[in-house]
Amino acid sequence: MAALKVHPKVYWIWNHRGWCLNNVPSGPGTEDEGDPRGWEKDLWNKRVVCVLAWSYRRVVLASMPIPRPETSELAYTTRKIEANFSNFSAWHQRSKVLLSLWSKGELDPKNSREDEFDLVHDAMYTDPKDQSVWIYHPLARWFRSACFLPLSIQNSRDIQGDDKEILEREITIIQSLLDEEPDSKWCMESLVHYKSLLLRNHSLSANTSTLRRECIALLKQLREVDSGRKARYDEIELELAKS
Amino acid sequence: MSKELDTLLVPLHVSYIQNLGKNKDDLMYHLTAHLRMNAIYWGLTALCTMNHRDALDRDEMVEYVMSCWDEEAGGFGAHPDHDAHILSTLSAIQILLTQDAIDRLDIDRVVKFILSLQQPSGVFAGDSFGEIDTRFSYIAVNALSLLGRLGDLDADKTVGYIVQCRNFDGGFGSRVGAESHAAQVFVCCAALTILDKLDEIDTPTLSWWLAERQLPNGGLNGRPEKLEDVCYSFWVLASLSMLKKVHYINSDKLTSFILSAQDPEGGGIADRPGDMVDVFHTHFGVAGLSILGYPGLVDLDPVYCMPAALIEKMGLRKGWQALERRAG
Ligand SMILES: [Zn+2]
Repeated sequence: MAALKVHPKVYWIWNHRGWCLNNVPSGPGTEDEGDPRGWEKDLWNKRVVCVLAWSYRRVVLASMPIPRPETSELAYTTRKIEANFSNFSAWHQRSKVLLSLWSKGELDPKNSREDEFDLVHDAMYTDPKDQSVWIYHPLARWFRSACFLPLSIQNSRDIQGDDKEILEREITIIQSLLDEEPDSKWCMESLVHYKSLLLRNHSLSANTSTLRRECIALLKQLREVDSGRKARYDEIELELAKS
Repeated sequence: MSKELDTLLVPLHVSYIQNLGKNKDDLMYHLTAHLRMNAIYWGLTALCTMNHRDALDRDEMVEYVMSCWDEEAGGFGAHPDHDAHILSTLSAIQILLTQDAIDRLDIDRVVKFILSLQQPSGVFAGDSFGEIDTRFSYIAVNALSLLGRLGDLDADKTVGYIVQCRNFDGGFGSRVGAESHAAQVFVCCAALTILDKLDEIDTPTLSWWLAERQLPNGGLNGRPEKLEDVCYSFWVLASLSMLKKVHYINSDKLTSFILSAQDPEGGGIADRPGDMVDVFHTHFGVAGLSILGYPGLVDLDPVYCMPAALIEKMGLRKGWQALERRAG
């Protein structure tokens, strides 16, 4: 029994410590101390685009004597995303920095939201097949996962008040992308999601029968282009019928 | 896929697991001492799921587990001369329960060891060296629940930390600020399930994110834009079963993917077709197939990752849903 052996490849549950030691070139306490840029550039040059590198970066940033301002961290993620839209770790880090800046009142959610939309639209149009951007889409953040935001921001009128106009604007933008990329499942999926939100949250002012019909047509197409996830689309359609 | 890989090769996997225990001279044996206790748990649980629970000697196994007891710390190490760690302690508890030998355990001391690892923030450390991670929180919650001592835990504090690890995509990270990962989603979902706090999960967003883990070849990945791997079959499916959304995954395609990663000669399952097999992926591949209702397998409780009948008998079953078992 004692001899039960395991192939010593890197397992998720074990690899964390070892990975950091082996793959993050040089941490704080080395010649680069105080400036995460040195080792980080090295990191990126080696194309080690890895979630653990980002975790480590957060640890390093948090442990620096004078914390690096979050606004420059935000600018950093902008550069990373613009260099490669498909960098999910950078999008993730960005969501964390934004949330922190908003809740501290250091950034106005309403204005910065528009910047986020601009960035996301660039990314969507650059590579509509990349899922990072669709998961990150600002509406996704605010509406898909409202509980992710602190209550103070969730309830602020800035976020809630113009929600219908934003939904409609995003639907228009995604629709025109779908016209160019008629097979894009991400476009269709997002359209269904945002149209369902209009139906659910603005049923008095929206044209409900048209919206419902459009959703059903999109779901039919989704079952064809993304047949593996058919069961989920069936379920959304059932929900739609109930609403 | 070659013809022989369209079914689960149960007798081969059973003998693969039995043979793992036989060669002490092997270099691998020494390299993987820190995984020994987990490896026994993976092997035993895979055997239980394949309905061959007695393929490894029970008494020898129980004696090995007890030889890893760290008297000073009050927990189990992975190997007789190793310090206690929360990972090997949970595996030891799971093995002793599965082998009906929990009376060998000094429950009060183990509970004390586990509780001592909770940090002021609410998260747990793995050992006295203090590496923190939400997977250690899950392990603590799981172990205390199995020992009937969840009442000793500061549940609000534990949940409070896990909730802070929730991300905009509905998933969870290893610590506050870390990005979502399917395995981390599993540990956080399971801890919240055991603590009856499933309402802290944004189910529509998270089940969407989990459904998007399936790739065109049928396999599942752990994060967007990454490669498929057999072990994610379990992390993703178990999470979905707690959210009652296993049907979001295409079962036929995932089943074929897992079967294609079998070694038709020596037995065992690899992370993906053509790679070297190991007991970890063998266990999680079989576990994934069980959740998918694969014929002839035994139900596995996805929350505790132990035989479902045992968890049910202990009165710990939560409201998860797997796919119905298909007739063989
Ligand atoms: Zn794996």
